[in-house]
Amino acid sequence: MRARYPDIEGHVDRHGLKLGYEVFGAANQRTVLLMPTWTIIHSRFWKMQVPYLARRYRVITYDGPGNGRSDRVTDPARYTPGAYASDAVAVLDECGVESAVVVGMSLGARYGTTLAAQEPHRVAGLALIGPALPLTPPSPEREAIFDSFRLPYPENVTGWGKYNLAYWHDHYADFVEFFFSQCFSEPHSTKAIEDSVGWALETNSRVLEAEENRPGPEDDWGELLTRLRCPTLVIHGTHDRIQPHERGRVAAQLSNGRLLSMEASGHIPNVRDPVKVNLALRDFVERVAS
Amino acid sequence: MRAATPTRAGTVGHEDVEIFYEVYENGGPTLLLVPPSPITHSRIFKAQIPYLARHYRVVTFDGRGTGRSGRPTGRDMHTRAQNVGDILAVADAAGVEEAIVIAHCHANWWAVDFASSHPERVAGLVAIDPGIPYLGKPHEHWAEAGATWNEALDNPSGWQLFNRNVITGDLERWVSFFFDAQLVEKHSTKQFEDAVGWALETTGEILADSEEAQDLDPPTREEFQDLVDSLDLPVLVIHGDQDVCQHVDKGLGLATATEGELKVIEGGGHLALARDPVKVNRAIKTFVDTKWGKDMSTETWTRGLSRPKRALYVSSPIGLGHARRDLAIVEELKKIQPDLQVDWLAQDPVTRVLESAGEAIHPASEWLASESGHIASESSGHDLHCFQALRRMDEILVANFMIFQEVVDAGNYDLIVGDEAWDIDHYWHENPELKRGSHVWMTDFVGYMPMPEGGDHEAYLTADYNAEMIEHIARYPRIRDRAIFVGNPDDIYPETFGPDLPKIRDWTEDHFDFAGYITGFTPPGPDEVDSIRDDLGFAPHEKVCVVTVGGSGVGQDLLNKVIASFPLAKAQLPELRMVAVAGPRIDPDSLPSHPGLEVLGYVDRLYRHLSVCDLAIVQGGLTTTMELTAASRPFLYFPLKNHFEQNYHVRYRLDQHGAGTAMDYDAIDLDGIAEAITSEAGRSVNYRPVETDGAQRAARMIAELI
Repeated sequence: MRARYPDIEGHVDRHGLKLGYEVFGAANQRTVLLMPTWTIIHSRFWKMQVPYLARRYRVITYDGPGNGRSDRVTDPARYTPGAYASDAVAVLDECGVESAVVVGMSLGARYGTTLAAQEPHRVAGLALIGPALPLTPPSPEREAIFDSFRLPYPENVTGWGKYNLAYWHDHYADFVEFFFSQCFSEPHSTKAIEDSVGWALETNSRVLEAEENRPGPEDDWGELLTRLRCPTLVIHGTHDRIQPHERGRVAAQLSNGRLLSMEASGHIPNVRDPVKVNLALRDFVERVAS
Repeated sequence: MRAATPTRAGTVGHEDVEIFYEVYENGGPTLLLVPPSPITHSRIFKAQIPYLARHYRVVTFDGRGTGRSGRPTGRDMHTRAQNVGDILAVADAAGVEEAIVIAHCHANWWAVDFASSHPERVAGLVAIDPGIPYLGKPHEHWAEAGATWNEALDNPSGWQLFNRNVITGDLERWVSFFFDAQLVEKHSTKQFEDAVGWALETTGEILADSEEAQDLDPPTREEFQDLVDSLDLPVLVIHGDQDVCQHVDKGLGLATATEGELKVIEGGGHLALARDPVKVNRAIKTFVDTKWGKDMSTETWTRGLSRPKRALYVSSPIGLGHARRDLAIVEELKKIQPDLQVDWLAQDPVTRVLESAGEAIHPASEWLASESGHIASESSGHDLHCFQALRRMDEILVANFMIFQEVVDAGNYDLIVGDEAWDIDHYWHENPELKRGSHVWMTDFVGYMPMPEGGDHEAYLTADYNAEMIEHIARYPRIRDRAIFVGNPDDIYPETFGPDLPKIRDWTEDHFDFAGYITGFTPPGPDEVDSIRDDLGFAPHEKVCVVTVGGSGVGQDLLNKVIASFPLAKAQLPELRMVAVAGPRIDPDSLPSHPGLEVLGYVDRLYRHLSVCDLAIVQGGLTTTMELTAASRPFLYFPLKNHFEQNYHVRYRLDQHGAGTAMDYDAIDLDGIAEAITSEAGRSVNYRPVETDGAQRAARMIAELI
């Protein structure tokens, strides 16, 4: 059973692509938009935030293309940050929301930042969690995978070597188990890993391939952050193995925002340390409102 | 002693009246604190300023007619326009372009007028117990008393004392009634004394003139409505629901009219500033930070299981005795919990002991207002009225509590140990929602005792303080997770807490665990004495007399008197050698010199001297006398006059050990001291032994909590 069910659920039609959205606490004044992230998981990764935030705010979640209640589209053009920003605007329009505090986790930070830069009047505040913004070099073990991503994988491949397109197609479930074991670097994370693996198995390697093939060029994230006019909050775990903590620190600095460093937390602290993240998000929304 | 000192102070002339103001320089927004003069002045904010000035720039002033400002007479010198003009003059003089104005009582009317007429100067308003015309219903007793304001009443009483003839004839009568009525909270003796004292700094004529001046320029309701409508600023109202000066409806009225925030203090009277300072201070800070706080703050939060075990140890800085025993306890605690990290929130002179022991001193320690400096400032000669000194330390205690609370709010401490950390224990009972971590309270005496010279009034005050403590513990047993008495039940002074209050011993046995005495060191055995004496350069045949007054800086008179007796004693006892220890807070060069007399400054591990001397001459402080008792040394002790702890608690405990010879500083002359030195030096003694496992026992009690 879910702790809270949506007051409104529906789909927006995006030029033939259906995106599922949910609205909680629909009667509340202020709106929080919880953005999708890498489509390997869907909007249920906000499950620890929604019931709490929805007691105070109108909370909107939606599934991005490729997972959850949205279509499993394999057109790479649907996966650019610009496309995500347009989808978010469409969801806000559908819900009749002028502006919202926008929260993005990991790749969701790119989508949220793009939205805030392109549509400043729609974003009252921007919170980024473990942002996947390439503002600093990646960790060495992650850097190594980029060169070999499209090459054949060796036999007995281990660790980050599994971040490989052919391996995804051959051993998708094994890859996602590995990946989420890295996301949740905190001890005693069995339930968090099970949940994420389950959500990952609702999509497939063809969708992830399409996302990887999204057309460029890469945005200048530093420049976009510097340009932001809304208040920002960055939450980043110091034990994040996916996105180095330094990236969050720089993101806060460039956007003149507040930094919440979560000592010993991993990549997805909203799942693993939900209470602290919930309180920090509430404080942020209140501050934005005042 | 005040808890904070202004960066600068000055006066500014406004229409021939000198207005005194103070500036506490700092970054961040400026707070302008406006007192409701002339019945009080800027000292009404004494519990706020030290805290607010650590975070913001603070400006305050004494209104016309009181404090250090001029005393104009005549109704036309106390109009609203003039008081508002004073605010503007101070803002100009202090270089305040824009401020958050904080006002109390009727000063809020001036603040609102100022905000309306100078909107560019006022960024926000914190209105405490506000009284503004038309906003909310006033108490009926004001209108009733106002009707007889000018009459010559026979035997006026109660609110009838609000009368020109009474106020001009006997100001104290009116203000005593008024503040007694305002302080609805129990145990408000100190706040009452403060408020009446400040009120008596004006005159009855001025106070009466200022009351009548309110009728000179009253606005019509329409004018007033325009004024309120013109306000466009954030407002926080704090109001006690038992306020009998300004009805809480008036706070609600202001909050409603300005779309501001209202915080009601249930059970609170008119002087929330003084009576619930912690709540008021934190509410102001939250309000200011929410509206003007920096967005670029950085916070680090650590996952629960990734946190090391941490303790914050707060050691009383009055004297050095607590530091030594607290170090001994921490040493034992680390044997039980090797991974425990201990931070100390401490101030001079305790920090000297901690630094030489290599302990970690929390950086916030440097913000603490000096408690030992206050105690020194309260002493005069060989006299320290320590109960009154503690009462007058109220603003230092609240200032230091606010620092402590910030440290524990941010520090993830599992354990807080307060060795006679009065501020923590008191304000956590007054603000129980602020408690963090497990809390150990530790003390070596329980119960304030009146001194005979203080008469009935002092007996009433000590009983009131004791009663408050007893009520605190009864209402909130969860605040002290462990209360440790440093000593044994037999050491407890056999008295009651006061009329109709329990016996101290019975109550203490019910509410404390007993660790036994904690010396902080193991006294040398007979075979070790010679080698320590040798180390210190004491020859076997010398009769070494050590004179020390501890670490508080109180005691120069005793040192001088004993040193003056030295030549007399030396004539009778040629092998006499005297070592006078000035301690950390007395300049050794300020003491007289004699051949055969040595004067030392601060001595680390002074117990080594004490434990091998042939005679010690000391004050009546517990630590030093018990060290001497543990080391089986003969000693003369001079309890400080009017020091209830030294005269009752310590003396009783020493008597249980059969230790020491109590001396009366005033009664004895130099010959008498010399004679006592001659007869006591080297005397063999047979005291009831002092336990040596006290630190271990206390550590075990504490370790159970982590």
